[in-house]
Amino acid sequence: MVTNIYSFLLFKSLYQPLEAFKQLSQSEPSPLGVMLRYSIWLLVLPPIFSLIGAANFGWRLGAAEPLRLPTQALLLVSLGYFVVLVFGLFSTALISRWMAATYGASAALGRHVALITIVGEPLAVGSLAHLYPDVFINILIIIPTMIWSMYLLYKGIPIALGITSEKGMLMASSLVGWLLVAAVSLLGLSMTLWTLGVGPLLGV
Amino acid sequence: MSNENSNLYHDQIVLHLVQFSVFWAIVAMTAGVYISAELVWPTIDFGQFWLSFGRLRPLHTNGIIFGFGVSALMATGFYSVQRTSHVPLFMPRLAWFVCYAWQLIVLLGGLSLLAGWTTSKEYAELEWPFDIAIAIVWVCFGVVFFGTIANRKIRPIYISNWFYGALIIVIAMLHIVNSLAIPVTIGKSYSLYAGAQDAIVQWWYGHNAVGFLLTGGFLGMMYYFLPKHAGRPIWSYRLSVVAFWAFTYSYIWAGPHHLHYSAIPEWVLSLSVVMSVILLAPSWATMINGIMTVSSASEKLKTDPALKFIVLSLAFYGLATFEGPMMAFPSVNVVSHFTDWTIGHVHSGALGWNAMITYGTFYYMVPRLVGGELYSVRLANIHFWMALAGTMLYVMAMWGAGVSQGLLWLSVDEIGELSFSFKDIMASMAPFYGLRLIAGLIFLGGTTLMAYNLYKTIAGKSAVKVQVPAVDPAFGVSS
Repeated sequence: MVTNIYSFLLFKSLYQPLEAFKQLSQSEPSPLGVMLRYSIWLLVLPPIFSLIGAANFGWRLGAAEPLRLPTQALLLVSLGYFVVLVFGLFSTALISRWMAATYGASAALGRHVALITIVGEPLAVGSLAHLYPDVFINILIIIPTMIWSMYLLYKGIPIALGITSEKGMLMASSLVGWLLVAAVSLLGLSMTLWTLGVGPLLGV
Repeated sequence: MSNENSNLYHDQIVLHLVQFSVFWAIVAMTAGVYISAELVWPTIDFGQFWLSFGRLRPLHTNGIIFGFGVSALMATGFYSVQRTSHVPLFMPRLAWFVCYAWQLIVLLGGLSLLAGWTTSKEYAELEWPFDIAIAIVWVCFGVVFFGTIANRKIRPIYISNWFYGALIIVIAMLHIVNSLAIPVTIGKSYSLYAGAQDAIVQWWYGHNAVGFLLTGGFLGMMYYFLPKHAGRPIWSYRLSVVAFWAFTYSYIWAGPHHLHYSAIPEWVLSLSVVMSVILLAPSWATMINGIMTVSSASEKLKTDPALKFIVLSLAFYGLATFEGPMMAFPSVNVVSHFTDWTIGHVHSGALGWNAMITYGTFYYMVPRLVGGELYSVRLANIHFWMALAGTMLYVMAMWGAGVSQGLLWLSVDEIGELSFSFKDIMASMAPFYGLRLIAGLIFLGGTTLMAYNLYKTIAGKSAVKVQVPAVDPAFGVSS
């Protein structure tokens, strides 16, 4: 099982997520293995799409003219984006494992990394929207994708970690709390960077 | 009416307050939905002053905070203080007066806002006659509440009462000090404070109204009803007491973070930022206490739709209490201030935390009050998903709008001139506002479902008579 779980995860988890959760519940893959053979390929998508989109079209924030940045700044932003995503995935997996103790769930870190990646996979694929970086279009695409991801989180935790659906509901809600905080931190971090001069030219 | 039998709890007052609270929720949320539509289609005020954004917006905020929020806090405060003190309410006739006088203030105050009476102080818009009435009714609320505690048969004062008590004392203090004014006519007064002092006093009031009413008061609700729901004692009682004092001490300093980059002393601003960050500790301590309490009672989720609301409200409480201190940082605030991110932040708290915990509490309390079952568990479950979807959509739309505004307002070109005009940026926000309108409609739809559900649960019934139980001698007041 362990040998083929990676290929199963990468492709089938997108259209057979519940099956993937079931497979995951029967294996204990190594965290590094999951990261390098599965997660990383999804994590590079948003920064790449964002780089291509911003370089070709500029950021469209609604007003008439798009905001354009020099290529070097764009590369830096995309690199930062990637680092943040890797950090986000790993910290979420660690927090998920930490929470698992409270709810009597499996403590295998690799399983948590894979679980979070399956949950986040629709978002990574949905980041195709970054190819045309208009904020509103991106939000329009991200919202249904996020609803799907949240559904996967609530469905997946009890299956993959082998706990009752009620405990899964509590654990998923706790994780949603963490993810909301992580999302808003990203906003705050971006704004601090802009204020410090990294990114768009602001008159502050 | 009130039962004079000294051995019965006064629950009919609670039931009335719950109904008023739900009524104001529908009225004030409808006003909110309407003004959000006005931001998409500005002409739908039809040239009527009373339908304009400037008059409906304070109606929306006052209706939610004072109509929906305070009525819910009075209801749950009266319900829980009797049960944690093992005595009926002190001066029940005064409690009835508080209940109805408060509704009259909200009704007439709302109409005065539509008529254009306003002090122009945010969340304190009501003019001086209402301010005096509020102060009187609020003190009566305090007399009933603290009188009940003074009469208690149980020695310890349970933690929820500390939060409700702080709510009553601090709001009285804030309201009276901030509302000091010189009346000119019946509908117009001028604040006793001027310039920067006025701003500092106003935000000392404004932020602590959020702190002690929308946070502290509702934490009182959480500390009583969550353990009741879960059928478990609070995870760490000691943590709850430490969190209470840390919360009370640090919150009161944080107000000036609303006034970054303005003409008030810098040390006041720095202090407010430091205190805002410290505030995260007691806020999250409480969140963890709540989550850990419920985590050992997961089987209850099978049968109790109300518990879901409370669990999720804690997640949004965690978000809002993290987001706030972060937005208090000057480097974030310079971009986020005056943008719709602030509106999103307020609503992640108001919808995600305040409304959800109140809904959860009402679904728990109302069937018990009338001695029946909830009319429809299915409707409550649908309401849960509508509330979650509405809140998420609202927050996402406002994050998108806020970040765009912050960036666009501040963008400069190579020679340092602003890249975009305010008017163009405003016009480009319509899609976000449209999304927010949909979010508001979904949330209001859920609330309407609850109103129907509770109406059917209550219809034709009145509060059951509950006998005050005997007190365990180990905890009794020795007399």
